[in-house]
Amino acid sequence: MTVTFAVNEVERVIEADPSETLLEVLRERLGLLGAKRGCNQGVSGACTVLIDGRPMRGCLSLAMNCAGRAITTIEGLAQGDTLAPIQQALVETGAVQCGFCIPGVALTAHALLATNPDPSMDDVREGLAGNLCRCSGYVKLIDAVRRAATARGQR
Amino acid sequence: MRIEQSFTIAAPRERVWRAITDPARMAPCIPGCDAIEITGSGRYRIRVAVAMGPVKATFNLDVEVTEETPPGFVASITRGEEGTRASVLTAHSELHLAAIDGGATEVRYISEISIVGRLGRFGLGVMKKKAASLGDAFAQSFRARVEAEAAA
Amino acid sequence: MTRAMGFHAPVTLDEATALLAADADARCLAGGATLVAMMNAGLVEPSTLVSLRHIDALRGIEPVGDGFRIGAMTTHRETASDARLDGGHAAVREAAAVIANPAVRNMGTMGGSIAFADPAADYPPALVAIEAEIEIAGADGRRRVTAADFFTDWYETALAPGEIVAAIHLPAMPAGARGTYHKLARVAGDFATASVAVVLAMAGDSCCHLRIAIGGCGPTPVRLAEVETRLIGGELDAPAVREAGEMLARAADPVDDARASADYRRLVIPRLLARAIERARAGGAS
Repeated sequence: MTVTFAVNEVERVIEADPSETLLEVLRERLGLLGAKRGCNQGVSGACTVLIDGRPMRGCLSLAMNCAGRAITTIEGLAQGDTLAPIQQALVETGAVQCGFCIPGVALTAHALLATNPDPSMDDVREGLAGNLCRCSGYVKLIDAVRRAATARGQR
Repeated sequence: MRIEQSFTIAAPRERVWRAITDPARMAPCIPGCDAIEITGSGRYRIRVAVAMGPVKATFNLDVEVTEETPPGFVASITRGEEGTRASVLTAHSELHLAAIDGGATEVRYISEISIVGRLGRFGLGVMKKKAASLGDAFAQSFRARVEAEAAA
Repeated sequence: MTRAMGFHAPVTLDEATALLAADADARCLAGGATLVAMMNAGLVEPSTLVSLRHIDALRGIEPVGDGFRIGAMTTHRETASDARLDGGHAAVREAAAVIANPAVRNMGTMGGSIAFADPAADYPPALVAIEAEIEIAGADGRRRVTAADFFTDWYETALAPGEIVAAIHLPAMPAGARGTYHKLARVAGDFATASVAVVLAMAGDSCCHLRIAIGGCGPTPVRLAEVETRLIGGELDAPAVREAGEMLARAADPVDDARASADYRRLVIPRLLARAIERARAGGAS
């Protein structure tokens, strides 16, 4: 069966089985490996992508049910060579260790800052509550989001 | 997980013993059981369909009687699977029959069950409640059958 | 998957129910937060998926008199962020706000969640305490059942094969009512180990309306009318609330599982009830 949706602002026509998840289609059919399979149950957050600007689970989305949607993956966050504020902040704070959680964290934080440009610590913690990180202890991830908020405010 | 249940039947112990040790009469009282096959002396195979919410599983179970002391005690081992080994089940069971006042019988069974595989995701707590409700349904069905036979 | 799965995206409710009536192994797809997770785990293998995504009649939170009609496809995020759900109705808003995590709240729906009827889910006790009604659509037409009658057993509801939840109706609340949902979980985002939904109204220092439902402690939400009538007319003092909590704990039928033992759940019910009542009286969760 065929389904059409936009990925990083490019329209894609996908041939897939209805049982295929968006995560499987992104990784295996489109070669976009940024979204990761953490648990395949929607808990880890490593598969998080933006659908119509909102963070959602790639592993719980069926590709066939995404017709007409706009998907943003980590590969689509930077504008050419210019990193998004959250990406720049994650680098500057030294928040990235193994990197497995980072695409999901970056996209979730990017969406959070779009709707809440000056989030409190609690806002950030709650916003990232669905992104598990085994390396960092979360401190620098949260710092990065707050840093990105400041950087956005200065632009 | 451990399941332990008891129920009484208004029928003498010998009659209950004959019924409960006869797979052709006992197995149909198990809710969802739709096939019984004697595969040897003290061995039989049954198929039981179980549903929990949207999840439907058909278990293929091989029962082997390991010890028998008529008319009061049976021990058995059950091994089975569902979904082409998507889940694997092992159960060690004991059945005790005691004669009680008024020509009746108390049936008590204890089963130590382990299930590994995809159904393990549901959480053993809810599966235990489900097993208990299947046990209640079995008790009602079996009691009705034996009491009807005794009255005939 | 060895067998090709069918996929339909109807635009009307009638089309959807007709498709479900035609195939006993078809499943409707709401947000996918539970169904796709179960498909990924190999627990369900639908023959056909009927996506509800394009059915406008299932969307939106609309005021109806002093109550609300919540379309079945309303996401948890939409419910959690709707400031109109205040007063007694805040119990369902607070429940929506603590379901899973932000990404799942962007996807999961009230209709899908209640149709699965996880015994540890957040909506069921809130909907029972609000005395909501569930509007059900099938090939034969529509019907309504109370929330209490909708949840029937572990993962079982009053839905007949082929029926789907169309909407959830929240009735008007008594004047001055306040509702809250208090959840005990091992970690944010987990299902409830135990939870309490309370809707109450006070006339001065005296309670004039009270509904309590316990979640995560049995096959369905635990509610005892006699506990409520005992407390109504009184001042909701600590000993009376503790006694009520103990009655509810005795009526509950919790399991031993990875989250907690049954004994632990019975132990915390009175404590959670006390906190929920205190929070409702103070105006709900911040």
